[in-house]
Amino acid sequence: MNIQDIYNLNKKNFLYSQYSDVENDRNNVLTNFSINKFDKKNNESLRNTDLKKFFEFDYKYNHQENQSITRINKDGSYSIVSVNGKCENYDDEQIQIHNLSELDSKDYFNNELLNTDDFFIDLNSLLLNSGFKIKIKKNKNVKIKISNLISEKNFTVFQRNYILCEEGSSVELIDEYEDKNDAINNVYKILQIEKNANFNHTIVQENSFNHSLILSTHTICKERANYNQHVYNFSEGYVRNFHFSDLKETNSQVDLQGFFFLRNSNTSNNKTFVRHSSEDCKSNQAYKGILNDSSKATYFSNTHVDSVAQKTEGYQLSKGILLSKDAYFFSKPELKIYADDVKCSHGSTIGPIDENAIFYLRSRGISKNAAIKMLVSSFINEELNSIVNDYVFEMIEKKLIRYLSEIK
Amino acid sequence: MFVDTETLDTLNNFSKNKYKYGFVTEIDSDKPKKGLDEDTVKFISLKKKEPKWMLDWRLNSFSKWKEMKEPQWANLSFPKIDYQDIYYYSAPKGFDKKPKDLSEVDPKLIETYNKLGIPLEEQKVLAGVAVDVVFDSVSVATTYKGELEKLGIIFCSIGEAVQKHPDLVKKYLGSVIPPGDHSFSALNSAVFTDGSFVYIPKNVKCPMELSTYFRINSEDTGQFERTLIIADEGSYVSYLEGCTAPRRDSNQLHAANVELIALKDAEIKYSTVQNWYPGDEEGKGGIYNFVTKRGLCAGENSKISWTQVETGSAITWKYPSCILKGDNSIGEFYSVAITNNYQQADTGTKMTHIGKNTKSKIISKGISLGHSQNTYRGDVSFSKKADKARNYTQCDSLLVGNKCGAHTVPYIESKNNTAIIEHEASTSKINEDQLYYCRQRGLNHEEAVSLIVNGFCKQVLQELPMEFAVEAQKLVSISLEGSVG
Amino acid sequence: MFLEIKNLSVKIEDKNILKDLNLTINSGEVHAIMGPNGCGKSTLANVLAGKEDYEILSGKVTFKDKDLLELNIEERAQEGLFLAFQYPIEIPGVNITPFLHSAINSKKKYLNEEEIDNLTFAKLLRYKANELGINVDMLKRSVNTGFSGGEKKRYEILQMSVLDPDLAILDETDSGLDIDALKIVTQGVNKIKSKTNSFLIITHYQKLLDYIKPDYVHVMSNGAIIKSGGPEIASEIERDGFKKFK
Ligand SMILES: Nc1ncnc2c1ncn2[C@@H]1O[C@H](COP(=O)(O)OP(=O)(O)OP(=O)(O)O)[C@@H](O)[C@H]1O
Ligand SMILES: [Mg+2]
Repeated sequence: MNIQDIYNLNKKNFLYSQYSDVENDRNNVLTNFSINKFDKKNNESLRNTDLKKFFEFDYKYNHQENQSITRINKDGSYSIVSVNGKCENYDDEQIQIHNLSELDSKDYFNNELLNTDDFFIDLNSLLLNSGFKIKIKKNKNVKIKISNLISEKNFTVFQRNYILCEEGSSVELIDEYEDKNDAINNVYKILQIEKNANFNHTIVQENSFNHSLILSTHTICKERANYNQHVYNFSEGYVRNFHFSDLKETNSQVDLQGFFFLRNSNTSNNKTFVRHSSEDCKSNQAYKGILNDSSKATYFSNTHVDSVAQKTEGYQLSKGILLSKDAYFFSKPELKIYADDVKCSHGSTIGPIDENAIFYLRSRGISKNAAIKMLVSSFINEELNSIVNDYVFEMIEKKLIRYLSEIK
Repeated sequence: MFVDTETLDTLNNFSKNKYKYGFVTEIDSDKPKKGLDEDTVKFISLKKKEPKWMLDWRLNSFSKWKEMKEPQWANLSFPKIDYQDIYYYSAPKGFDKKPKDLSEVDPKLIETYNKLGIPLEEQKVLAGVAVDVVFDSVSVATTYKGELEKLGIIFCSIGEAVQKHPDLVKKYLGSVIPPGDHSFSALNSAVFTDGSFVYIPKNVKCPMELSTYFRINSEDTGQFERTLIIADEGSYVSYLEGCTAPRRDSNQLHAANVELIALKDAEIKYSTVQNWYPGDEEGKGGIYNFVTKRGLCAGENSKISWTQVETGSAITWKYPSCILKGDNSIGEFYSVAITNNYQQADTGTKMTHIGKNTKSKIISKGISLGHSQNTYRGDVSFSKKADKARNYTQCDSLLVGNKCGAHTVPYIESKNNTAIIEHEASTSKINEDQLYYCRQRGLNHEEAVSLIVNGFCKQVLQELPMEFAVEAQKLVSISLEGSVG
Repeated sequence: MFLEIKNLSVKIEDKNILKDLNLTINSGEVHAIMGPNGCGKSTLANVLAGKEDYEILSGKVTFKDKDLLELNIEERAQEGLFLAFQYPIEIPGVNITPFLHSAINSKKKYLNEEEIDNLTFAKLLRYKANELGINVDMLKRSVNTGFSGGEKKRYEILQMSVLDPDLAILDETDSGLDIDALKIVTQGVNKIKSKTNSFLIITHYQKLLDYIKPDYVHVMSNGAIIKSGGPEIASEIERDGFKKFK
């Protein structure tokens, strides 16, 4: 079914549909969703992706059911199982969690979040059917793990997650997307990091072949706020990562890193965008990927420095290793700089594994295949060794070993 | 902090940059009516006494142009070009026939060129440089012709080549830049007036620099020159173009097409010093420079190298590119682009690797001052067949002042797992430590800035032919004028 | 026959580098090769180790009665050939300890010997490192990454001593070493020297040969061995340069 029909048929079920201004807005968005109106310029990062399955699909969602669980562990950390974009409501002196309700409709109209011109975010606005909000209270230091699940085959979930880190709070969030159901999961996360707050965000993606994950984040950093995001993509299915950060106030800092491990005919589209709107801020955007078989990946990065954002440091890095002759990688590292007192740079490489390194290892008696594996894992060893959380370390290591075992 | 303020002072001085070539030569010229339709195309073709095949080619291009929109992707903003408000042909009166030698040329014209520093009289010509001069729409003089003919080298205006070497023109014109490529190439193909034609025969190394000097003189005139250079197997040529235009308040359009073809083992080195009128301090007037330059490394082991120093024009839209088709062929791009006041430049290159073992190198240096916007746009791609291909790209931008912008937009694509792409870019302001160091050694602030900027550009400037390296260095300094004594 | 190189000619990128080169090494012998820059010494070493960029135009190489040129890179290593590189490459992210551990175990596997477990190997490596005056902290680092020139050379010798080769080719292992390091490294070599293994030492300096006594010295020029003899040749070269051999 095409998007127009999906919308018209299910209109009443989408969140906030009772508000006429929401409906007006959605009607505007709706006109963008016919294939011939596709805005290529703003969706350049989706190149090499067959978007047909996102223009035409069967919409399926259960609005009533909620199987989600929130619980606090012995060590004081929280475990959340979010099913179909929903959460179990929860409140204590550290955090507060609730499902999206009419009360949050004003968030929907936050102009910054609307009209992003991004195909998938627009789709999320249009068909919004679930979501939740987490607040980390002032000066609290919490660890949260969220397992994001989909309960039924062929579900199409369009969810928004608001995470607010209040002043001085410190959050370690592990977001797991590991689902074996055929489904579309379109997640738009809005993260607000208040003054002096710290947010370490680990995102692990390992979905099955027919599971499409579209993950967008929009982060706002206030004075001296820190946001670190590490994305690990081991999925067999399509994954789109789009992570936007706005350094709104001085001395804030953002680090967006991604690691993808592709095989078979899988595709992954990646995009990061950092906007420096204030002075004395730092940013880093770095994606590294291994491409095996006939997999394809794109990575678009962008550092945008407003003219007021003096004393900016902004770095970008993109590295792709092509393991097979049918693999494909495209990158576009962009700098848009309107202030003069800046240090910005980007580096980008695409190529095979260094032949001289293979020779060196083989000359010590290591087989070619083992040498290749050793060098592939060396590509992210540094990253792996910098993971302080044992749980994350072991999880990533296990996935990496599994990925390596499939290299022929 | 006080250094900062001074940098800004220097900056303000830069923008007082006086365009030295801004005079107008009072010469009657022969123009058709303003505007573009089929009749304009026919008028140009008739004026140039072209054969029917040429006219047909133009008309075909014109019909393509009518259907096309201007490319939108560049980071430029300017009012819509009114194609009906331009003269498409302007020749100094009495140029129905090209002068046989300089005694037939209007003395005023010769004077113009002397003012520009391009003496036409052969004995005065820079040692070892053959010059073709294009004034508005017409090639006025080609020097050193005889000597080149002895080697079998053809160096003449494209108009003359259409008459005298139709086979070569028919075979290669539009073979690298098809008229339907985009709207500016279609426009140029329909109304091109003059430009240079070069053919270097097999195994001939052209012993001197070939050079063309372009000047737009008449008001409201567009200049649409077309250059075609063919280097046959095993040959070598180094070619240089320079450009100037008078100061005018209105904008003038320049949409040139340059096609290079290097056959097996041949090498073409193409250098440009572009100094069209950039407009005044308020951004009024100046040339709109929409240029398509593309080289085809058709044969094995061929090489095409582009070097450009871009300091002029209100708007520059230009991407000298290489199609690396022959195995082991090499493409290079060296660029300095300086924008000041309200200038906008969107320039870069495209390296398309098709053949095995092809190599390309891109060195781009952008300097933004005043309220200008300077964008590097690049595209490097490795096709599936480009085994062991390599690219190295380095693009650096320097910002002086916080009212300008520097942007880097590279596209990097690989379909081959034996090919290697390496890309580096940086953007920063002029290094205060370097400034401090130079001043501690006794240079004044302006001298120090000029020295550092020249150092920043050195990697590119040293690629220019000797005769022009000095000229280019001066030009860089003039663009930063106020900084040097 | 231990190692026999017969009429070996090799080219790279249209350039002939080794021209009809002959050399025989018996077990237990130490051979030194000296020759001017660019004459092809490293090329010879790399061809023996099996680097794939070279085109073998003609010739035959026998190593322990096997056709060496038929073996791939790792098989040669597992057979007992070791090359200490002139310019050891940096491999960031590949940790020294697991790397050497899997190297030694691939050899054991090839020889149908029992593999060494983690703990035993770690002990062995520490022991060998101590012997060569290598700080054990270095064993936590990535292969050659961020090592000084001398450290890289020392680390090559450490690998040699762990892998215990039958034929070790040392390509200018002495350059870049300070005098103390030179002593330690040559002691290391002398320690593993035995009746059953041999050395091919490429060097520019007689100094090294004062510490490791060669049985034969060969002069190489323009891709071929033009003179062979005893240690006295090294002193002649040290005194007069290569001119008289041409
Ligand atoms: N990959 C290559 N491509 C082209 N030429 C090469 C290549 N490798 C080596 N050569 C050339 O082969 C010749 C021999 O090089 P080689 O490294 O074997 O010299 P060498 O005797 O070890 O010199 P040195 O004493 O300086 O170490 C040199 O002229 C070198 O430039
Ligand atoms: Mg050597």
